[in-house]
Amino acid sequence: MMELDQSCSVLREYGSEQSLLSRPDGSSTFVQGDTSILAGVYGPAEVKISKEIYDRATVEVLIQPKMGLPSVRERAREQCVRETCEAALQLTLHPRSSLTVILQVVHDDGSLLACCLNAACMALMDAGLPMSLLFCGVTCAISREGQIITDPSAAQEKESQALLTFAIDSVERSVLMSSTSGSFSVHELQQCIAVSQKASEQIFQFYRDSVKRRYSKIQ
Amino acid sequence: MPFDTRRIRGPEESQSPLLFLSPDKVPEASSRQGVRGNGDVRPVFARCGLVSQAKGSAYLEAGNTKIICSVYGPREIERKDETDMKTGRLVCDFRLAPFSCMKRGAWIQGSEERDLSATLLESLQPGVCLHRYPRSQIEVNVIVLENDGSILAHAVTCASMALADGGIEMYDVVLGCALGQNGNTCLVDPSHSEECGSWHEGYGENRGCVTVALLPNLNQVSGLNADGEMREDTLTDAVRTCLDGCHKLYPVVQQALTRAVKRKAPPPEK
Amino acid sequence: MAAGFKTAEPLEYHRSFLKENCRPDGRELGEFRPTTLNISSISTADGSAMVKIGNTTVICGIKAELTTPPSDAPNKGYIVPNVDLPPLCSSRFRAGPPGEQAQAASQFIADVIESSDLINMEELCIEKAKLCWVLYCDIMCLDYDGNLLDACIIVLLAALKNAQLPEVTVNKETDLAEVDIQKKRRLKISRHPVGSSFAVFDDSIIIVDPTAEEESLSTALMTVVTDEEDRLCAVHKPGGTSLSGEKLQHCINRAITRNKEISKLVDKVIGSMKATK
Repeated sequence: MMELDQSCSVLREYGSEQSLLSRPDGSSTFVQGDTSILAGVYGPAEVKISKEIYDRATVEVLIQPKMGLPSVRERAREQCVRETCEAALQLTLHPRSSLTVILQVVHDDGSLLACCLNAACMALMDAGLPMSLLFCGVTCAISREGQIITDPSAAQEKESQALLTFAIDSVERSVLMSSTSGSFSVHELQQCIAVSQKASEQIFQFYRDSVKRRYSKIQ
Repeated sequence: MPFDTRRIRGPEESQSPLLFLSPDKVPEASSRQGVRGNGDVRPVFARCGLVSQAKGSAYLEAGNTKIICSVYGPREIERKDETDMKTGRLVCDFRLAPFSCMKRGAWIQGSEERDLSATLLESLQPGVCLHRYPRSQIEVNVIVLENDGSILAHAVTCASMALADGGIEMYDVVLGCALGQNGNTCLVDPSHSEECGSWHEGYGENRGCVTVALLPNLNQVSGLNADGEMREDTLTDAVRTCLDGCHKLYPVVQQALTRAVKRKAPPPEK
Repeated sequence: MAAGFKTAEPLEYHRSFLKENCRPDGRELGEFRPTTLNISSISTADGSAMVKIGNTTVICGIKAELTTPPSDAPNKGYIVPNVDLPPLCSSRFRAGPPGEQAQAASQFIADVIESSDLINMEELCIEKAKLCWVLYCDIMCLDYDGNLLDACIIVLLAALKNAQLPEVTVNKETDLAEVDIQKKRRLKISRHPVGSSFAVFDDSIIIVDPTAEEESLSTALMTVVTDEEDRLCAVHKPGGTSLSGEKLQHCINRAITRNKEISKLVDKVIGSMKATK
């Protein structure tokens, strides 16, 4: 295993692959350290009448845990990912249709929600769905000494006094989604946002590179 | 065992502290003596129109029994297959809040609640002009916030008030009254401890509960539910006593409904 | 005329008010609806409270039961919060198992309890690795008119403060629990978390305490939970349009003043109950 520098505002080793599944309209896998998520996107497709929205597409997000059935915790994460996707996608272009994002947890070693967001964004890009902006997820842990650690592992999450996950948009670098646990001061919150915004640059650059690499191959 | 993945789960098993009461400290069942006579119903507090989102709603309090009911509809029928399209459909959902009883209830609707839903539906149906609502359904949702006996009877009254408050066309309001028979004594509008008391000693001659639903203006009985064992003449007497009990409720219900109408459409000032 | 405009173009209708810095119900943008609190209304529960924020009504009943402590924390007890949105409270909810919103709310409340250190979980332990309390906090919405999360946090806080647990001792000879229902004690509530919800209109205008209609028309929702030391316990924004740092700071400031208002209300109501007893 590679040695990783885990000091301030450094992400763990990350990587991704797109279009690895043949059945979904878009798919991706996103790996951050030992955390790994597999994502598939289906749509625009027919929607159940009960869920139909007359002027835009209905987005559904399903998170499948590594083992067992999804619980309330997964449902809360699904809500966060879904509403972030809804803000990024141009849903009014596909009225009365459905978009389904399925996220399979392959391995959880911390920063799970952030990894889910990244995998979802890569899969949506792969499906070629019209989006007004891209988003990425960054998790920050505040350690008991008050140090901010980005992209923490499960062990670091356990040791921390607060855990903050943000979704950052690619246009204004502002906060789309925020989900926190533990208590923290206003100053710490602002610091974490700033650190996440900085870290997001790296991920957006990674998005750009991987898309560029992929399309240069096709031509 | 399948478990509920849609709710936050606690430990696998837990027991109510009431099971561990030291025997000398069990609170004694209080008798009715001095508080109210055996034939008296508890004073009832009733209000309409508390749920802002509903078409009609009502809240009813009798002693410690607290019931809230809301009515939605008429709206498009959900299941189109099995129903007769010429008349509307009444749907009842009866729930006991988990904290409403001495022992904590489960979130998932149990068989008792399903039975109560069905009985409530049958008692209300004759009072509603369902032929006026073809191809549509009217939903009645009842939640018992605190169970201190006679919940079915009070739920019937509360639900019919909510229907009336929602402007659903009705032949008459439906009033409910319950009675607990224990040997030769009969207790009208029994509280929870009185209801349970008659069962603790097991089944026996002349022991049981009766609930009657009445349309007071038409003087017709729309629901009758009796369990336990009773002699024919006792049962007849019991039903008669319940009918009296219903009539005693009527002015309260009338008053609450008039109040609600006046608030919605205040009379022109002279 | 106004009614027709409201039904046909709800968003335009709201915008025309927001332009004038007010809202259809007459409130200013930063104004909460009147909040009332009522405690001890359910005698079958060990603790109960009911909160009304405008039309939104939420009731919470706490039932305490006995169980064995979790194996990974033998000196702690359990708190199990669940939020239910029954079909009674609004036509948008169906009968049956809880939907996504109810589940997300339950999880949010559980997170707030954990994040804020609302209660010392060790206090719920009666005998280490043998016996502890589990507090089932069942929260039911009776009237849904927006801002569910704020109401849930207030109702939970008040119900926990109102709760009284009977004294339990473990009999040394029989190894069984003995409950004395006459002697009751209150829980020590160490923190006062209070939430404030915000809705973002047209990506820029922020209003507090949105109604159900405002929630459905807004582009993003956010809930900020603070405690009495002005520390943040949760900044929950499940998505929607983005928010600048400045606006976020504005929301946090509002949340801090709201905490003071609600803490005062809760203390007053709980105090008045103690005084009458």
